[in-house]
Amino acid sequence: MTNSTATDLAIETTGLTKRFGERAAIDGIDLRVPRGSAFGFLGPNGAGKTTMIRTLLGLTHASSGTMHLLGHPVPLERAQALERVGAIVEEPRFHMHLTGRENLRLVAAVRGPQTHARIEPALARVGLSERAGDKVKSYSMGMRQRLGVARCLLADPLLLILDEPTNGLDPGGIQEFREMIRAMVEQEGRTVFISSHLLDEVEKTCDAAAIVDRGKVITQGAIAELAGGGVARNELIVGVDDPERALAALGGSELVLEMNRSEEGLRVVLAGPPQTAAQLNAALVGAGIAVMRLEPVRHSLEQRFLEITSRLDASPTDTEEVSA
Amino acid sequence: MNATIAAQMTAADFLKLRKRRGTLIWALVLALAPLLIFFIVRAAQHSSSPLAHPAAGGVSGYTDALRLLAMFFGPLAAIMIGTDAGAGDVSAGVFRDLVVTGRSRVGLFASRVPAAVGLCWLVIGAGWALAVLGTFVFASGSPTPDAALLANGLGFALLSTGVVCAVAVGFASLTASRPAALTVLIGWHLVASPILANISSLGSSRNLVLSQAIGHFSPVNLGDRRGTTLTMSAGVALIVLVGWLLLFTVLGAWRTRTMDA
Repeated sequence: MTNSTATDLAIETTGLTKRFGERAAIDGIDLRVPRGSAFGFLGPNGAGKTTMIRTLLGLTHASSGTMHLLGHPVPLERAQALERVGAIVEEPRFHMHLTGRENLRLVAAVRGPQTHARIEPALARVGLSERAGDKVKSYSMGMRQRLGVARCLLADPLLLILDEPTNGLDPGGIQEFREMIRAMVEQEGRTVFISSHLLDEVEKTCDAAAIVDRGKVITQGAIAELAGGGVARNELIVGVDDPERALAALGGSELVLEMNRSEEGLRVVLAGPPQTAAQLNAALVGAGIAVMRLEPVRHSLEQRFLEITSRLDASPTDTEEVSA
Repeated sequence: MNATIAAQMTAADFLKLRKRRGTLIWALVLALAPLLIFFIVRAAQHSSSPLAHPAAGGVSGYTDALRLLAMFFGPLAAIMIGTDAGAGDVSAGVFRDLVVTGRSRVGLFASRVPAAVGLCWLVIGAGWALAVLGTFVFASGSPTPDAALLANGLGFALLSTGVVCAVAVGFASLTASRPAALTVLIGWHLVASPILANISSLGSSRNLVLSQAIGHFSPVNLGDRRGTTLTMSAGVALIVLVGWLLLFTVLGAWRTRTMDA
């Protein structure tokens, strides 16, 4: 990721800092968000996520550092950069006395004449066509969230920046929201930058993430790599009838990077891609060992997040880099 | 920002204001109700004692109605609309959503002013139409104003309320709080301005009071009833008026450009 050019990146910041008096809300953040991905900006409440988003969007001025959005330096080319950016900062807010459609008309007027034609498709995209003529004050939180996304879509955004987008949504709404985000990334090729304090949400929605705490990015990279501790590890639980013989049979095998006994049988880190598991199975069966279970170990981001933050509690200056 | 976008933004701001029923109804009440009451009461007085009370309409009625509309209740309606336009986006929390479109913040501010003044003028136009109606309906044979006086009266009412409305947009944008702006401006208009204008020890510095400068352009004699007998040259009045406009629009634009959204 560090070799990416500015045009490969939807967001790139270097040493981005925002101070409120003596306190740095974000402190020297280097962030690289690849285009066409869902990127999580994960951290506990008060970590600086919203300040980061506000700074990126020019809602508040950075104290120091540089940033590029869609290849445009900000604030130098802020208008061009934001032309294809849609954003929801904190909860989506609207003029309550206007209808959903009228609220979109206001933003369309500001974005330019070509935007008006996007109002109805945007409302349809978020499933609000039927209620678009109702005043926003009659909308539920979920509907307002969806109207916020529709407002973002008026920009035909290459980059969507969503701040805690599932706050206030019920489980059904959260699932619907995730599916919409994934469709935007996979089917429409948009980049979605999501800030969240919910590990589960980031893990289920995003391809890559940065973990932020106390205004600093602690680590960033693909979700699998973050969960694996920096390297994408293909780890298996192998259930066999005779673990000792299995250990001996696989000892020195080029298929295996690392292995040890566990309660379930063996824990094996494969040297190759996940498909190597089939070769491992064949090797064990060939050695006359019965294989009852072959299950990939899924490292959770939550586990990793807790490891990082507990290490931080012990040593506040610790940081690490994960290349993706 | 080209003219098309500027026009669309102004139309959008106008829509925002027009749809705010509370503000619009109160502005209409302020522009119309005092005139209605004025004509009804004066007509009743005139009919009960024609010698003691002049006709409710005619030139005299038009003069008094214009004073009510242009110098007292019209500016209150203008303040209501102007403060809504100036602080509405921030109050509703949508200002940041407009800023993230990348559109110039000064452009966002600039579109508020014509939208607010446009709506204000519609309301004041309705008030003026009522004043003209009353002037002719209740003339009771007394002389009626000619077309020039009617037109000048309309121009004066629009000038007075337009300036106050634009100042209110700027001031509300500066404070970013509608209640604060509303309180200060109504207090200024109803209390501070008349008091300052009547403190003779302030001398010619009283010319800086906006209502006094506006009053200079009245086509009818406002006399003592406007609260004072200040006189000033047309040049001074124009400078004061433009000064108020510039000061508050520049301050409003500056605040809109620099505030954290």
